[in-house]
Amino acid sequence: MKFRISLPVILTSALCLLTSAFGLPLYRDSLPNGLVVLTYEDHRLPTVAVSLVCRTGAASDPHDKAGTTAMMADLLARGTATMSDDSVKSIVEFLGARLSGDADQDNCALNVRSLAKDLGIALDLMADAVLHPAFDAKQIELARSRMLSDAQGMFDDPGSEVDYEFGKLLYGDKPYGRLTGGDTLSLPRIKREDLVAFYNTYFRPNNCFVVAVGDISRHDFVAEMEKRLSSWAPGPVPALAVGPLAMPDRIKVKVITRSDMNQTYVEFGHPGIKASDDDMLATRLMSYILGGGAMSSRLGISVREEGGLAYDVRCWFDRSRFEGGFHATVQTADPRKAIGLMLQDIKTMHDSGATRKELEKAHNYYTGSFPLTYASTYGKLGQVRTMELYGYGMDWLNTFPAKVDAVTLDQVNKAARDHLSPGHYWMVVLGPVTREELGLTDVEWIE
Amino acid sequence: MTDHLQLWSLGLLLLMPLAAALASPTSDLESRVFEYDLKNGLHIIVYVDSSAPVATTSAWYKVGSYDEPLGSTGLSHMLEHMTFKHTDFYKPGQLDRIIDSAGGNNNGFTSTYYTAYYEDFAKDRYELALKIEASRMMKCIFPDSEFESEHQVVSEERRLHDNYPAGELWELFGATAQLVNPERNPTIGWSDDVRHFTVQAVRDWYRQHYNPANAVLVVCGDVQPEDVKAKAEKYFGSFKGTPVERRDFYDVEPKQNGERRITIRKRVRVPSLIIGYHVPGVRDSTWYAGEVAGTILGGGETSRLYKKLVNELRLATSVWSGSGVSRDPSLFEVGVTPKAESLIPQIEQVVQTELDRAGSELASDRELQQVRNQVLAGQAYRRDNMFGMTYWLASSYILFGTWHQAIDYAEHINQVTPEQVRDYCAAHLRPDNRTTGILVSAKETK
Repeated sequence: MKFRISLPVILTSALCLLTSAFGLPLYRDSLPNGLVVLTYEDHRLPTVAVSLVCRTGAASDPHDKAGTTAMMADLLARGTATMSDDSVKSIVEFLGARLSGDADQDNCALNVRSLAKDLGIALDLMADAVLHPAFDAKQIELARSRMLSDAQGMFDDPGSEVDYEFGKLLYGDKPYGRLTGGDTLSLPRIKREDLVAFYNTYFRPNNCFVVAVGDISRHDFVAEMEKRLSSWAPGPVPALAVGPLAMPDRIKVKVITRSDMNQTYVEFGHPGIKASDDDMLATRLMSYILGGGAMSSRLGISVREEGGLAYDVRCWFDRSRFEGGFHATVQTADPRKAIGLMLQDIKTMHDSGATRKELEKAHNYYTGSFPLTYASTYGKLGQVRTMELYGYGMDWLNTFPAKVDAVTLDQVNKAARDHLSPGHYWMVVLGPVTREELGLTDVEWIE
Repeated sequence: MTDHLQLWSLGLLLLMPLAAALASPTSDLESRVFEYDLKNGLHIIVYVDSSAPVATTSAWYKVGSYDEPLGSTGLSHMLEHMTFKHTDFYKPGQLDRIIDSAGGNNNGFTSTYYTAYYEDFAKDRYELALKIEASRMMKCIFPDSEFESEHQVVSEERRLHDNYPAGELWELFGATAQLVNPERNPTIGWSDDVRHFTVQAVRDWYRQHYNPANAVLVVCGDVQPEDVKAKAEKYFGSFKGTPVERRDFYDVEPKQNGERRITIRKRVRVPSLIIGYHVPGVRDSTWYAGEVAGTILGGGETSRLYKKLVNELRLATSVWSGSGVSRDPSLFEVGVTPKAESLIPQIEQVVQTELDRAGSELASDRELQQVRNQVLAGQAYRRDNMFGMTYWLASSYILFGTWHQAIDYAEHINQVTPEQVRDYCAAHLRPDNRTTGILVSAKETK
């Protein structure tokens, strides 16, 4: 590697925790200020990708200012106290590197990717952005403009619109019901002090971790982080508490009639579980069997392969810090028939469970395809980020296949009984269809 | 604002002949890529990368929407769907179960110039992918009884496009700019053509285009080249190859003598603007100047159009530009997301002014060096996953006649001069060679 840092510097100043992740070149260290440093050495290519992740996401946005976290994360990459956005971008794009922020409900991050030879400059830019963000007035207005365009554009895609409407029903006034990117009402309300307040409160080393994947050694990366970020001061970080979601007492349907469309978009579901729930793995296997693939799952076979009713049909459980949702979606010219088949398939799974053969296939799929999910740089980065964020433990990449194999048919069927609730759905239907044409009985229609 | 970091960084950067200092990210490709031809004409490309115990296996057919006659647009895509259903190896519903059971991922896709299928597996299972692709190549069965449900699935996929307004803009813009070249047709096919597909047409299309002499097999990952060769011979070697002559539409497009415009009114809240100009395709050496011009004008946030339209004048929220990878003369496109419909005329003026400037002034050395640096970095990033490598090698082979284009591209870009970029812009990015497509809001209809 290109950095000349002596090993003793690290050993005296950084708290070196447990090292290799059971044979993988993945290491977890921490700096005295609490910043966790994860390094996945991968010397295949002369590139390095780094994400500095904050464990707080859009769920902590002020309730009437959705989009605050996303705007803050975006602006981290757009200028510092001593460098304009133009200057930052000039360097990044001249190098063929990438620097950007991202956010979801549970976390936000500043990401950089560069050739290994340019990593020193890239890390300088990243550290400057983390420690001295400008939140420049002009950049705030440009960011607001981009985000407003995205928020409006969401309604130009029926799939996004139906998902938005479903989220409002599922989450009500809970934080996950707000759009990560904000909406046309919330975005104009966000002021510079909101961004600064979020940054000052949550962007603390004890509430963050940094992941590097690529052509760098653990020792060099820890030293580089210590050199640049050891002055970053920790601070108290308030915890977010979110109450349980309301289970609808029956099927409650919102119909948005659009006569200018030739296909109907449907999304329905109900409250699910948390990522940390002990049942999550069994629930994932169950939902994979039920609707994990558009061609080979139960929903895929009945709606697509046999029915010819849709190009894509699927269902899933969210994996999130707080209670997420169970979702089922389809886009079809015959919503009456497709919804009927989906409701029946879900009820059958709930009542009768999966078969041993189906579980065997699910085991094989998850264990066999798992290495594919972290073969690439971004795959590794994503898996390590998930692992650290949800506390899966350093052995996760190694032990996940065995944990999958250990899930029994009884556990899968119990997950179906416990976490599917037939007859208790929020449902949004958007397309050239009326309530009467859906043929649904014993449901409550909502505006 | 004092840009301390910028000053030292840029000073350092400009002192370094960057492209020369960096060992090319493709320098080891020569030793990692292996090629073979079976006697039946099947071309095989193997890329060896043992860094992860996985392999992507793919079969590429030199048939796509480019080859479809009028009235049968989308037929290659319909055939792609049908090949997942029934062969001598798998029956309806079995293929995904076979692949899922082996812990793999798979899919297929159809493009203008090719139809491709791939499977990702752990390295010890890639032989299964070869068996699947061999059966798909020559042993598909298309019973009447299995056609209609898949025909309906494809019709639903077509409807997904119909209900996405930006998709409609793209389709109609392409068909307005290109009058004759089959690139004007959407890969999924026009709605009426999709409605009238027959199973017999699918059978005929399969028989005409699927055979080893019209295919490329690409395997990337933790594999041994000789092992791939032996297994390919085992599964594909007995097939008869029949070369397929591809029609050439290189010079079919009539000269454009004045701007063409379309306006689409749909239920949208955010307007869109696309501006296109007829330009040379990859068979013309000036195509590379177009690649450089596209990046300088609209590649990233330091590009001329982004700085002008988004940062300086605040007329738009995003902009990009570039020419596609097309065998025939095709289009250089500028895409803009205007902040409001009323700003579109002003945006069009600004775009043309910037393009005119590019056609009269030389690009700076720094702009060209930035493009070169981005190409080199992009080559390194692209090698990161096996599917990316598969796509890169196969598409290079099909469109340029050699996988080596994956290496040569950077060298061609390095040789582009400021004068060539200026001359390219002056020759092609003219108002009378322009097609403009606009998507704006219509009043809501219930």
